[in-house]
Amino acid sequence: MNAIEIRNLSKSFRELHAVDGLNMTVPVGAIYGFIGENGSGKSTTEKLICGLLVPNGGEIKLFGRDYTNQDVRAKIGVLIEQPGCFPNMSVWNNMMLQAINLSIKNPEEEVRKVLRIVRMEGSASNKFKNCSLGMKQRIGIAFALLGNPALLILDETINGLDADGMRIMREVLVDITKNYNCTVLISSHILGELEKIATHYGIVRGGKMIKEMTAGQLEEDCPTYVALQSKDMAKTKTLLKKKYTRVSEENEYIRVYDNVKADEIVNYLYKNNIFVTEIKTDKISLEEYYIDLMKEAK
Amino acid sequence: MEMQFEKQSFGKRLASMLKVDFKRMFLSPLVYIMGGISLVLPILILVMTGLIPSTTIDPVTGMETTVETFTNVWQAIGSMGSAMSMDLTSMCNINLLFFLVAIFACIFVSDDFRSGYAKNLFTVRAKRIDYVLSKTIVCFVGAIAMFLLSFVGAMIGGAIAGLSFSTEGFGAGGVIACFISKIFISLIFVSIAILLGTVAKQKLWLSILCSLAAGMLLFTMIPMITPLSAGILNVIMCIAGGAIFAVGLGALSNLILKKTSLV
Repeated sequence: MNAIEIRNLSKSFRELHAVDGLNMTVPVGAIYGFIGENGSGKSTTEKLICGLLVPNGGEIKLFGRDYTNQDVRAKIGVLIEQPGCFPNMSVWNNMMLQAINLSIKNPEEEVRKVLRIVRMEGSASNKFKNCSLGMKQRIGIAFALLGNPALLILDETINGLDADGMRIMREVLVDITKNYNCTVLISSHILGELEKIATHYGIVRGGKMIKEMTAGQLEEDCPTYVALQSKDMAKTKTLLKKKYTRVSEENEYIRVYDNVKADEIVNYLYKNNIFVTEIKTDKISLEEYYIDLMKEAK
Repeated sequence: MEMQFEKQSFGKRLASMLKVDFKRMFLSPLVYIMGGISLVLPILILVMTGLIPSTTIDPVTGMETTVETFTNVWQAIGSMGSAMSMDLTSMCNINLLFFLVAIFACIFVSDDFRSGYAKNLFTVRAKRIDYVLSKTIVCFVGAIAMFLLSFVGAMIGGAIAGLSFSTEGFGAGGVIACFISKIFISLIFVSIAILLGTVAKQKLWLSILCSLAAGMLLFTMIPMITPLSAGILNVIMCIAGGAIFAVGLGALSNLILKKTSLV
């Protein structure tokens, strides 16, 4: 069963094709990292799923039903861009309005609970307009968490958060997916943070999905490598290229992608009178993988 | 395995939407400001116009000009004559409230879009009709409150200005019929403002401007439809007019919300 299933979705703003025949599958219980450049169509896709924009074509299904189904829509938590709050109203009153909107049975209790989760219970009486950017993001997350949503759609949510906020966010997302079977669709440019929690990824470019994969597939696609530095980088590179097939120089390090151990490389270079000054074994990050994929796409 | 979701019936959806809108209305200073204006406006009008002499003589030409001022407190509620008149008493009375009601409805709708709260509402509400219906009901209730406050203000203003409270010529029933008719006409203004609010969305100035322009077209007809000598027929006509406009324009607002981008 898929929480979100999108087929051939398209949305244009006059001449601009923001979403262009996009396909997407988000399984139930997944934390789906939605990645793409600025203007690639991430936010537009999310707004289309939420029914805030009208698609030009295609099909959106949520939990196997049409996305306009009222019963399903009542169980969606969303934070797209800024949280939608009345600036002159207190955080508490804003939250209460949303709790009533969601027909939550014990609204006070539920609001208190979600404010506690995002550690904002002490700021409930503050006017929303007086909250800092980070506080507003936390409030937005609390908004989205109201009423135990079955699907959480978060757009650039972690961008304005401090280190503590990001950690809380990570913990909350992992907890709700594991314990409440909630599905999360999250877009962000902070790929390092996304990599820590996502179970699935979708990479979008020019309004099209260019790759969808699980975290396991990403692991397979991101090989480990040995990165090293020496006093004579040019000679080292020539020597390594003679012995190994996949050698490149990136960020002032020579990388060997062949399945080889670090001590083996050190011995080989030592025998050729090259002294290694620094060596480490690392893995291609999501960010690097994404950049490479974007280069290929271009 | 298909996931089970709680059924969201029309009644449940509308009840929660109404709760949200009523709570929002009473938490917002807007309703109190509008209420205050509705109360003070007739007092100011009746007291200030009482200071204007009914006849003035031009010192150069010696021509005498007669100004129709308030002589009876009920003129603040409706016009004495049934013919369409454009004098001070039929323009500067409770009819001014129609514009205030339109501004109130425009701000109420526009605030949803300007604050981004519309995102929260429409994400969980696929049926836009809940929104239109709830906004119409809440704004109409707000309009009734404003009319009642204006009525009270007119009584206070009339007493201060020393105007006559006599109902001779139209009767108490006529005053009640006139007042009820006006309340139901406000539903037309509310529906227009909500429609224009959904079209203009974040652009509050646009919705207010268009609502006032549309209101001006109706404004000249109101004294004729709702004179102080109004009867049951006037009331029925105004109820029917209000209902027809509310349903028609509400359906149009619903269509606009369905077919246009909400952010």
